[in-house]
Amino acid sequence: MTPAALPTHTQRRRGGQRRREGLTGWAFVLPYALGMLIFIIGPLLAVGAVSLMNWSLLDTPTYAGLSNYRKLLHDPGFLSSLGVTALFTAGIVVLNISAALGLSGLMNLKLAGISAFRTAVFSPVVMPIVAWALVWKFLLQPVGPVNTALQHAGVSGANLLQVPATALWTVVVIEVIKSVGLNAVIFLSALQGVPPELLEAGRLDGANRWQSFTRLVLPLISPTFFLVFIITLIGALKVFTPVWVLTGGGPSDATTTLLVYLYKQGFGFFDFGYASVIAVVLFVLILLMTSLQWALRRRLVFYEE
Amino acid sequence: MQRRERPWTLLIYAVLVLVSLPFVLPSVWMLISSLKSSAAIFGNPFSLSGSEWRPSNFWEVFRNYPFARQYLNSVLILLVSVPATLLLSALAGYGFARLRFVGRDAVFLMTLGAMMIPSELTAIPQFLLFKTLGLTNTHVPIIVLQVFSATGALAVFLMRQHFITLPKELDEAGRVDGLGYLGVFWYIMLPLSRPALATVAIFALLNSWNDYFNPLIYLNDEKLMTLPLALQRFTDPLGGVYWNLTLAAGVLVALPVLLAFLLAQKQFIESLAATGTKG
Repeated sequence: MTPAALPTHTQRRRGGQRRREGLTGWAFVLPYALGMLIFIIGPLLAVGAVSLMNWSLLDTPTYAGLSNYRKLLHDPGFLSSLGVTALFTAGIVVLNISAALGLSGLMNLKLAGISAFRTAVFSPVVMPIVAWALVWKFLLQPVGPVNTALQHAGVSGANLLQVPATALWTVVVIEVIKSVGLNAVIFLSALQGVPPELLEAGRLDGANRWQSFTRLVLPLISPTFFLVFIITLIGALKVFTPVWVLTGGGPSDATTTLLVYLYKQGFGFFDFGYASVIAVVLFVLILLMTSLQWALRRRLVFYEE
Repeated sequence: MQRRERPWTLLIYAVLVLVSLPFVLPSVWMLISSLKSSAAIFGNPFSLSGSEWRPSNFWEVFRNYPFARQYLNSVLILLVSVPATLLLSALAGYGFARLRFVGRDAVFLMTLGAMMIPSELTAIPQFLLFKTLGLTNTHVPIIVLQVFSATGALAVFLMRQHFITLPKELDEAGRVDGLGYLGVFWYIMLPLSRPALATVAIFALLNSWNDYFNPLIYLNDEKLMTLPLALQRFTDPLGGVYWNLTLAAGVLVALPVLLAFLLAQKQFIESLAATGTKG
């Protein structure tokens, strides 16, 4: 062993090589890392700072302590948007995942031309969201085809998008039709990974279709199920465009989710401090969901890939 | 056997057609209505008789509105943002996957975090930053945020996962042949990365084309607006919507994407399913 104080020639060369590799590594990562620090991580930290200030477009910012947070607790608009977000998220998750499971079952049928069905169900996923929302906005006008049809069917005064009781669920359905194809395809590839011998064995043991689905298929696709659940849950918190285009948060705030409320406070009233508090709340929610993902992972998932 | 199954098969096909209607009809209806006069749109949604036929909608959106300009804006932004995303994510992905340097894991962890952060959360400080720089009402914040927001972080993550799967012997062989790090990356690694790059390109493309939130915040000037904003501007002075023009413009926005999807379905579905993001 050579004493550490006297590095051999090769060790010195290796050290130099490592330093070169280190510098090169930074050079490769730097263009992205710098941008991410300046435009994402920096602003994320700044949200916390701005939330402690009174800051609007015209005034100079002043330190406000926790007053924005106190305001939040007594703001009926915020509390209502929290409730709307909970309903919206729950609606999207339940409807999207159950529809996606059903659709993936249909997509998995061994039939000629089944790929056309897959294409059809997936196509709204790539459809530009504003165009999609505008088409539905027209279809759902007070005198548009959907409401007219409903009125002919006996639902008097049907006006799905402009009545508070139905507006939120209508937006949920439109968003789910737009995006469910993606989850369906993800489930489909999980279903195709279920070994057919196993289902055959279950059938021989006397399992009916429902039993073989709940006892064999679901546990086998549970990693996928869980992944889809979390992606859909967090995704639902991030939905803005279709809501904004379809209803603008109305009627009477029935579709004002947290994100819509943030946008209204920040870029409608330019109350940057207060809007930042809402951003902090959303951030905490997303953080909770993400930690939930890790906490539940071991319990729910039977097999890891 | 055959005879007993046929009615069932027919029934299943009927179910499949019925189920696919809500997914397909809105697009079909948009296409048909874009060819009608504004009055005829309110009639039978699927009829297209001679008297209702009005393809001039497609000409009018360009004649009376800055739609051509807005189309060009969207295309130019895409032409900058997508290659920039590809280049930066490939470089960073390779650095994270293959090179050892101090602070690598910390920066990579931040990238994973950035993947989870929706751009709406950071919108206010970003807006204040770009306002201080005098860059609001320009395309700069739109492009920058497309490259560095969640989509960009996802791109870096995917490229890293891809480079990790390539055998290390390739780097070594390249080094023996006298290539530097950049040479190995450019001449050996990138050519082997076409599928991963295609995946990144597809969702970066959709993200750029459909970007709505940031343009909504930053762009006030009609001539600078991009297509998702442009679609909402076919209105009369009182805010009433000219639906025939809106839908014709909608077709022009959706058609390139839908055609690309139909031509490269497998890549689109695999790309989006692999990432769990929707365009």
